[in-house]
Amino acid sequence: MAAQRWLLDGRVQGVGFRPFVHRLATGVGVSGTVRNLGSKVEIIVRGEPAQLALLQDNILHHAPPLARPHWLSCEDWPHHIDAGFAILASAPDSEIAAGVPPDCFTCPDCLAELADERNRRYRYPFINCTQCGPRYTIIRGLPYDRSATTMASFALCPRCLTEYLDPADRRFHAEPLACPDCGPQLSWRAADDSRSPRESAQGEAALASAVAAIRDGRIIAVKGVGGYHLMCDALQPETLRRLRQRKQRQHKPFALMCPWQGADGLDGVRKLAELTDVEAGWLTDPVRPLLWLNRRPDSGLPDELAPGLASVGVMLPYSPLHQLLLQACDRPLVATSANRSGEPVVFDNADAEQRLTDIADGWLHHDRIILRPAEDSVWRRAGQHAMIIRAGRGMAPLEFRLPFRLSAPLLALGGQLKVTVALGFDDRLVVSPHLGDMDSPPALDLLTDTVVSLQQLYAVRASLLVSDAHPDYATSRWAAGSGLPVVRIWHHHAHASALALEHPDVRQWLTFVWDGSGLGNDGSLWGGESLLGRPGNWQRIASVRPFCLPGGERAAREPWRCAAALHWQAGLHWPDVGDDGALLHDIWQRRINSPASSSVGRLFDAAAVMLGGMRKTTFEGQAALWLEQQAMEGGQVTELPWLRGESGIKALDWAPLLGMLADASRPVAERAAGFHASLVDAVLRQAEAQCRQHAGLVVGLAGGVFQNRWLVEGIVAGLQAKGIPFRLAGRLPVNDGGLAAGQIVEAGSLEHG
Amino acid sequence: MDDSHIQLAHGNGGRYMRELIEQVFAARLGTVDPSLDAAPVQMDGKRLMLTTDGFTVQPLEFPGGSIGSLAVHGTVNDLAVSGAVPRHLTLAAMIEEGLEIALLQRIVADFARAASEAGVTVVAGDTKVLRRGEGGGVYLAVTGIGEAWPGVHLGMSQIRAGDRVLVSGPVGDHGTAVLLAREQFGLRGDLQSDSASVLPLAQSIWALPGLRFMRDPTRGGLATVAHEIARATGYRVALDQPAIPVRDQVGAICDMLGYDPCFLACEGRVVAVVAAAEADAALACWRSLPQGADAAIIGEIRAASPLVTLATGLGGERVLQELEDDPLPRIC
Repeated sequence: MAAQRWLLDGRVQGVGFRPFVHRLATGVGVSGTVRNLGSKVEIIVRGEPAQLALLQDNILHHAPPLARPHWLSCEDWPHHIDAGFAILASAPDSEIAAGVPPDCFTCPDCLAELADERNRRYRYPFINCTQCGPRYTIIRGLPYDRSATTMASFALCPRCLTEYLDPADRRFHAEPLACPDCGPQLSWRAADDSRSPRESAQGEAALASAVAAIRDGRIIAVKGVGGYHLMCDALQPETLRRLRQRKQRQHKPFALMCPWQGADGLDGVRKLAELTDVEAGWLTDPVRPLLWLNRRPDSGLPDELAPGLASVGVMLPYSPLHQLLLQACDRPLVATSANRSGEPVVFDNADAEQRLTDIADGWLHHDRIILRPAEDSVWRRAGQHAMIIRAGRGMAPLEFRLPFRLSAPLLALGGQLKVTVALGFDDRLVVSPHLGDMDSPPALDLLTDTVVSLQQLYAVRASLLVSDAHPDYATSRWAAGSGLPVVRIWHHHAHASALALEHPDVRQWLTFVWDGSGLGNDGSLWGGESLLGRPGNWQRIASVRPFCLPGGERAAREPWRCAAALHWQAGLHWPDVGDDGALLHDIWQRRINSPASSSVGRLFDAAAVMLGGMRKTTFEGQAALWLEQQAMEGGQVTELPWLRGESGIKALDWAPLLGMLADASRPVAERAAGFHASLVDAVLRQAEAQCRQHAGLVVGLAGGVFQNRWLVEGIVAGLQAKGIPFRLAGRLPVNDGGLAAGQIVEAGSLEHG
Repeated sequence: MDDSHIQLAHGNGGRYMRELIEQVFAARLGTVDPSLDAAPVQMDGKRLMLTTDGFTVQPLEFPGGSIGSLAVHGTVNDLAVSGAVPRHLTLAAMIEEGLEIALLQRIVADFARAASEAGVTVVAGDTKVLRRGEGGGVYLAVTGIGEAWPGVHLGMSQIRAGDRVLVSGPVGDHGTAVLLAREQFGLRGDLQSDSASVLPLAQSIWALPGLRFMRDPTRGGLATVAHEIARATGYRVALDQPAIPVRDQVGAICDMLGYDPCFLACEGRVVAVVAAAEADAALACWRSLPQGADAAIIGEIRAASPLVTLATGLGGERVLQELEDDPLPRIC
C-alpha cells in the first residue's frame, strides 16, 4: 500500500474535475480525498501502486473534455487517510496559479434535457452542468466555488441542492447550477414600457415578447453570456437599414446567428454560405465562434447585411437561451455586439437600457450578473487552418506557459485597437478577451476594470507595466499615468514575439510583420518588416520602400491618400487624385504632417482605390477586405525588386505594381489577384534567400495584414513547395489583439537576455 | 524622446511644455503658479494683475496681423481673462541683424495701433540686436499690468460639476491662417487670424455671478484649455463636437492636413466656464457683441474621471488625448 499527495494545476477547475476524480477513485477502489486548493487541485490517495498508477494515467489522459490538467508534484503522504473517497471543501492557497475556464456552449446532455418535456429543466434558458455553461464571465475569484461566482445570490432549492451534493450526478458541484424554481429568470422590457421591472413580462412570456418583436421587424437587445447582442430579423432589409442607421454603422458587416437545423445542425448555414468540412467542425466547436464564410449567391440575404462584400459571419446558438430564441424565430437573426459605435459591449441591465435607449426597441434581460464582458470569438479559415481574428467568449482567458520565469509580475496593455490585456507571472501568461478600441470613455473604464479584475482573479499584483512604444496610444497614456514603472516595447517586436510564444521550440525566426501601422524605432510608421531572430533579440533585416503619408493618421481611413502617396513617391502623376490633389501634393511635398511609412496595409489601401474601391473607409480593413474579394484565380506575379536601403536594410519596392494596377485592359479580378501574388512571391523569395544564409530558420507571419486568406494560403503553399518550415498563429490573433501577450514575452525575454 | 536637451516640442503648449515648466521653472521659482494667465499682486492696497509673454511667430506678418499686433493682443488677453483691465505694457524687442527696417516699422506700428485700441500705454522697453542667423527676424517679449476688476474672482477652483463650457467664436483661425501664410499653399480665400483684444468679451460677463473661469486658448487650442481644466479640477470636460464653431475653410484645411481645429491656436477667443443657470445669459452677452456673434455653449463639466471627451454627434464619445507635440511650432 502506498499513500501519496498529488498536486495539479492548469485548467482543473470549473470543468467537472473533482467529480471526475471522485468517480475514477471509487471505480478504481482507492481511498483518499480531492479538493480545490487555491487554483490547484490536491488529491490524496491510498492504494496499491498499480491502482495509483491506473488512477494517475486516467486522470491525465481521460480527463473531461474541458479539462487541461498539468501535473505539478507527487510526494509521499505519511498521514492517516480515512477509508472511502471524499470531496473536501475548497481551501485557499498562497501560491499563485492559473486555471480559469472559459465559458462554454451547452453540452448535448443539457440540450437534450432542454428539449425534453418531462425534464424539470424543459425550456429553462439557464440550464448547465459541470461540462458546460458560463465560467469566466461570472467568476469573482478562485478557488472556483458557487460562492465565488455571481450565482452566489441564487440559493439552491432542495432538488438542485441534492444534485449538487450527489457525486453520481452530472451536476455534482456544478457551480452555476440552476433550475426554474431557484435560478435566473428572463424578463422583457419594451422601449415604450413604463412599468417597473417586476411588472414586465417574465420567463416564457418574456421570451414570447422577444420573438414577437423580432418577427415584427424590431431591433432588440438580448442579454447573453458575455454581454448583450442586438438582434433582429436578418432577412428584412428595412430592419437592417434601421439598425445601420441607429448604430451609425454604414458598411461593417453584421454577424448572423443561424438556428440549429438538420442532423448536424448546419442545414440552415448551408443555405446561406459555402461550408467546408473543417468549417463545419469549427461552427459546432464548444467555443461556438463566429465564423467568416463566403456568402452563397442564392443565399437570399439582403445586401444591407454586408454591403458590397461577399462574406458573411455566422455562428450557431451558443447558449440555451439563444437555442430557444432561434428555434422560435426559425430564421437567421443578426447578432451583433450591443454597443454605441466604437464602445465596448454592454453587459449590465441598467447600462443596457441607458446606453441603447436610441438603438433598441426592447430588452430581453435576465438576472444572472455578468461580471466581465466577453465578445464573441471570431475565426476565419485559411487553407485548413483556423485563423483567430478575435479571441473572446469561449476562448478567453487564454493561458500560456512562458519559456522562462518572470522575476516579478508584469501587466501588458496592448495597443490602441482590438486591445487585450495580458498578465505575466512566474512562468504563466494569461490574456484577457478582446476589449476593443480604446478611444471612448467606456472603453477606458473597461480597460481599468479588466486590469484590476484580472489581477484579482489570479491573485497577482503587477509591479511593472508594459505598453507599446507609441506615446499617444490611449493604453500608453494610461500606463504613463498609472504611477507604476513602464517598459515600452516596439509594436512589431511584440507582434513577432506573440507568434513566438505559440511555438517555443523555434530557435530562430524570420517573421514577416505586416500591418497597418505601428511606431518603429526610427520614428517612422512601420508595417512591412522582416524581423530575424527571437524574442528579446529581433533584428530588422528588411522593410518596404518608405513613402510619406500626407495627413498622417487620416491616411488610415482615406485610401486615396495612400494611392496618391505611392504615385508621388515614385515620381509619377496620379490622374485620379481629384480636386484636392494640388493641396494634398503641396502638403506631401513639404512634409507637413506627412510621416514616412513602410506599411503593407497602406499598400493594400492604395491598390484597392486604384482598382475602383472606396476612397474613404468606414471601418478598419475595409479596403483590404474589398480588395481580397476582388481577387480571382489567375493573377500574374510582378516581381518586386529589393532595394538596398541605408543602414543595410533591404526595402521591397512596390513601384512596379503601380503600372500593373493602372492597366485598365486587364480585368479588376486579375489585377487584384496579381497584387496578392506579387506580395506572396516577394515573401517566398526572401524566405528562400534567408534560409540559404541561416540554417534552421523558421518563417513566421504576424500582423493584421495576415488575416488575408489569399496571402496566407499563397505563402503557405509556396513555403511547403520549397520545403521551408513555417509557423502560423493558432491561439492568438495576428492582429493587435495579440500585442499584449507579445509585449510580455518581449519584455520577459529582454530581462532574461 | 531625448530627455536631456530641449526639443521643439517643449514649446508647443502640450505635455512636454507643461512638464518642462513644472520640473525646471515652477520647481525653482516657488512663487510662480504656472496655471494662471496673470498673477495677482498687491501693491499699496491696490489689486493688480501682472503677466508676461514671449512672441516668436513665423512668419512675422500674416493675414489678420503681425507679431506686433499679436504681442499686444496676447498680453492684454491674459489680463482680460483674469478679470483685469489692462493698463500698461512694456516691450522688449530682440531683432536679428539684416531685418528690413521697413518691416520693423510696420510691426511696431501694428503694436502701437493695437495698444491704442486696447486702451493700454507702452511705458518701457528695450531693444537688442542679434547676429544674423541667431534670431528669427524679431522676437518680442511683453509684460502687461492691469487693474483687477473689483468683485471678480475667477479661478479653476471655482468650477463645479454641471457647469457649462462656452467659447466666444470659431476655433483654429489663427493657427490655420499662420500655417497658410507660412506655407503659401496658393489657396484662394480670405482666412484671417482672429488676433484681437478680448477685453470687450471678458468685460461683458465679468459681473455675471455664475462666471467661474476664463482663458484665452492660444498654443494647443481649445483642447489644451480643456485638459488644463480637467487636470486642475479632477472633473471631466465633456465637449459636444457639433456645437464647436469652426469656419468651413478652417475645417476643410484641417481635414486635408489631418489636423484637429480643437488643437490649433486662437488669438482672439475666450473659453469660459459658467454655472449652468447663467450659461444662456453669458451666451447672450457675447452674442450681442460683433466679436461674439458665433459664440456657443460647447460642453459641460461632469463629475467623472478627468478626461476630455468629444461627443461625436454619431451617438458616441471619443476621448481627446492631451497634445503631445503640436504639429505647428512657432505659432505665436
